[in-house]
Amino acid sequence: MDEELFRALIRASGLERTFAAYPDDVRAAAEQALRTAGAIPEPADPRAEPWPPMQAGPEL
Amino acid sequence: MYMTDLHWLSAADIAAAYAAKTLSPVELTQALLARIEKLQPKLHAFIRIDPEGALASARAAEAEIMAGRTRGKLHGVPVGLKDIIDVANLPTTAHSRVLIDNIASADAVVTGKLRGAGAIIMGKLATHEFAIGGPSHDLPWPAARNPWNPDHHPGGSSSGSGAGLASGQFPLALGSDTGGSVRNPASACGIVGLKPTYGLVSRRGVFPLSFTLDHVGPMTRTVADNATLLDVIAGHDPADPGSAATKAQNFGRELGHGVRGLRIGFIRHFHETDMPAHLEVTAALEIAERVLEAEGASVRTITLPSLDEFSAVNRVILTSEAWAIHAKWLREQPQNYGELSRQRLMPGAFIPAGDYINAQRRRLSMIAAVNDALRDHDILMCASSMDPASDIHDFAETSRTYPRQARTPFNVTGHPALAMCAGFSSVGLPLSVQFVGRYFADATVLRVAQAYERATDWHKRRAPIR
Repeated sequence: MDEELFRALIRASGLERTFAAYPDDVRAAAEQALRTAGAIPEPADPRAEPWPPMQAGPEL
Repeated sequence: MYMTDLHWLSAADIAAAYAAKTLSPVELTQALLARIEKLQPKLHAFIRIDPEGALASARAAEAEIMAGRTRGKLHGVPVGLKDIIDVANLPTTAHSRVLIDNIASADAVVTGKLRGAGAIIMGKLATHEFAIGGPSHDLPWPAARNPWNPDHHPGGSSSGSGAGLASGQFPLALGSDTGGSVRNPASACGIVGLKPTYGLVSRRGVFPLSFTLDHVGPMTRTVADNATLLDVIAGHDPADPGSAATKAQNFGRELGHGVRGLRIGFIRHFHETDMPAHLEVTAALEIAERVLEAEGASVRTITLPSLDEFSAVNRVILTSEAWAIHAKWLREQPQNYGELSRQRLMPGAFIPAGDYINAQRRRLSMIAAVNDALRDHDILMCASSMDPASDIHDFAETSRTYPRQARTPFNVTGHPALAMCAGFSSVGLPLSVQFVGRYFADATVLRVAQAYERATDWHKRRAPIR
């Protein structure tokens, strides 16, 4: 992850203090998030609904 | 009955012994407390043992049973609860320094149901921190160990539940399952763990990890006990937004029906190509297939989305929702989390909202894919863990093998999924198989699991822990 962007995201997330104390953990978390980025394709139909996020069968 | 045998009794055995008046709840509870005291330094299954509460419940159960007022199959039966489940007036720590002083003001819904059934709550069980950060060695309590070999991990995150069951410390336990945390310890410890259909069991009073992936599930040494425990804890809870408006069921109603005539879809690509399994796991799965065919089921290979696809959806949803829960604490008191939790709970801070929405959209197509497979099949079978449990001190091997599993697909889709013992490795560690059913067909999953259990003798083996 670009260092400037990384620092900006830390500020946006309010994690400055956590980063100061545990830089390796915050970096590991960011790298994990980066590995996930783009792993899920956007649906072919942009109108596809995400709701309800979870509903098991017809009994709800 | 010899006192040394008591700790291996199933809940069904215990109920029968109470009915025959050959055993009393106080006698059993005292025997189990003695065993817990002996094994706790070796296995660390408990965060908090509650001998006073357990013995008080045992005396009350004994008085009622002696007076002929038996409440049901779990009356006077001991149970352990993962320490993210509230028990009124006891701490719920989630195995974390963050909640070390958190005293629950009320019972979780599942705790209340167990109390209503007359079960005896033995205490609070070890977990990975907040059901995600583990196995860890930088937390206020030690990590639970595997009774089959205490140098190995017992799976997680419901680690104490698995370790305690496999070592005869209690016959019943509850765990939670967000990415496989009931089924992982079931696989590692050679017991039975069911992630019920999403919404079947209330999560109110259970500390959340990920709202749309969390399930509470029964963990036992036998399939029949699993059905009995599910009977007690299942049911609609209008105060849990994920709860399904289901009617009461008898989840043991199909037990003993066997698998003759059932159509089983075998998801081979999970362990053959998506994530090639340890050779002994592969062999165990092939033997399981042959056992079920010999029992009269027809097994056919089927294809679902890849494990990588399921895993990506699970990870984006889980870390996004977990971040929403933990953000404040991670900003204000990061020092109170273990290292693994910090690393696993913060990725959500860096995931764009659009990715979360896309994961939820993709989830719906994955649900459709599993539903399609279950239109032509009564049950699906697949791997659970791709490897036997690793050495708990071998961080690299544990990090490599922990994510090698096929459980997250059914957290993403919410279908009922059960993991159980399918043999043992050459060094005596449990191997596992997983059965998956249609929504609310948890009884059919239990039926198939019991048919497999009856056709094998894995469940009769006991961990060599003393």
